[in-house]
Amino acid sequence: MKGGRVGSILIALDRARARRVGQPGQRLTPLINQVALYVLLALGAVGVCVALPRKGVNPQPIGALLAAGAGGLVMLLLGLAGPEHLPNIYFYVFGAIALGGALRVITHPKPVYAALYFILTILASAGLFVLLAAEFMAFALVIVYAGAILITYLFVIMLATQSPTEEEADRLEDYDAVAREPVAATASGFVLLGVLTTMLFGGVKTLPAGAAGARPEAARDALLARMPGKVESVLRTEGVLKDGEFVDRGGSAVDAAAGTITITDAKGGTRVLPRDQWPERLSVRNIEGVGFDLLADHPGAIEIAGVILLMAMLGAVVLARKQVQLDEEAKARHAARLAGGLTDPASAGAGGAGA
Amino acid sequence: MMHLLAQANPPAPMHAVTLGHYLFVSAAMFAIGLIGFVSRRNLIIMFLCTELMFQAAGIALIAFSRFHLNHTGETFVIFVLTVAAAEAAMALALVVLLFRRRESLSGEEWASMKG
Repeated sequence: MKGGRVGSILIALDRARARRVGQPGQRLTPLINQVALYVLLALGAVGVCVALPRKGVNPQPIGALLAAGAGGLVMLLLGLAGPEHLPNIYFYVFGAIALGGALRVITHPKPVYAALYFILTILASAGLFVLLAAEFMAFALVIVYAGAILITYLFVIMLATQSPTEEEADRLEDYDAVAREPVAATASGFVLLGVLTTMLFGGVKTLPAGAAGARPEAARDALLARMPGKVESVLRTEGVLKDGEFVDRGGSAVDAAAGTITITDAKGGTRVLPRDQWPERLSVRNIEGVGFDLLADHPGAIEIAGVILLMAMLGAVVLARKQVQLDEEAKARHAARLAGGLTDPASAGAGGAGA
Repeated sequence: MMHLLAQANPPAPMHAVTLGHYLFVSAAMFAIGLIGFVSRRNLIIMFLCTELMFQAAGIALIAFSRFHLNHTGETFVIFVLTVAAAEAAMALALVVLLFRRRESLSGEEWASMKG
């Protein structure tokens, strides 16, 4: 009785979901065998756990190899699922570099090298962005992340480390050399990854057929309709416009719905250029698309982003001003420590030996 | 190559199978960042791991933006970058401050703050 009611509720929910989604395409069969996926994730977890820094014997390369092997096998199995839709080979190159760099960020005991490996990860992700036809974001990522944020990190790492003494030039701090709870951390991380991948690989749907071809054209034309100046300059360089002809910038010269461009000549007469006569170069670039989406469609958000950056700058300045007072405190503490060290014969002896 | 970059034609729609590949890279990078955040004890590396997680979210956003053939995902990554930059400025100022107080970058130095 109860089971039947639950079942009918589930069926109703499923129907409601099907109605909401509106039949965009059939559900894919799970991309990868669930058992193989979980075995590989467990293998990767063991690898990452072994690769985390620890005292004594350090089998880091073995762990890294294990994790890399598991990740690579997942990728290969993904490829087996749909050989006709494989991403191109650069995806595998950049993906492997990005994940390998990320693994090294969390396993390298020295912070400076961790930051450098993070730059490697950023560069590889920029490569992935280019593959995804997002050139502007790829360049912005390299400039902002690798160029600005990571350099700040490097500066802080160098500011905030004790200067090494001569005999222990590459001594590691204890908090760098030993990871905290590696087993629990890896287990929780890979449980999360398992859940995420199960959702991803079981729940993705194919793109709707039919609409797929029409959509970029319609979006492109709608954007072109907002850029009559660009349309005119492209038409002029392609030789479509004759002397004295122009594209009217005030009115709706580009009609996205009808797929026509109205060209005005010097005497005020017009002629219409249908879509199949548009030159090949008349298209929206990635930067133009992002620019319109950012500045025309989300003007409020960019103001808020500016305020956030301003507040962060103010906050950093306020924190930095506090340092002056702290310096006084630190000086007093230093003085106290020095005085204590002078009266303490053991540390005074150690200081003398060091000098 | 320039021709390829400048996209003379709108990109072809991406298939769901390929979307899965990018989402796997994103999820794996997020998990690695999470593991690092929980297990490393150096404050600076912990913040680097949060940046790693931001980055993973960015890859997922751009992959979806490409999948649906609109630019909103890319726009959102710009805001993710903004927040990451603001967070880095504040966090690093705090790290320098904390380092001056205890002469150590260990997160456990500040365990008494958990109350």
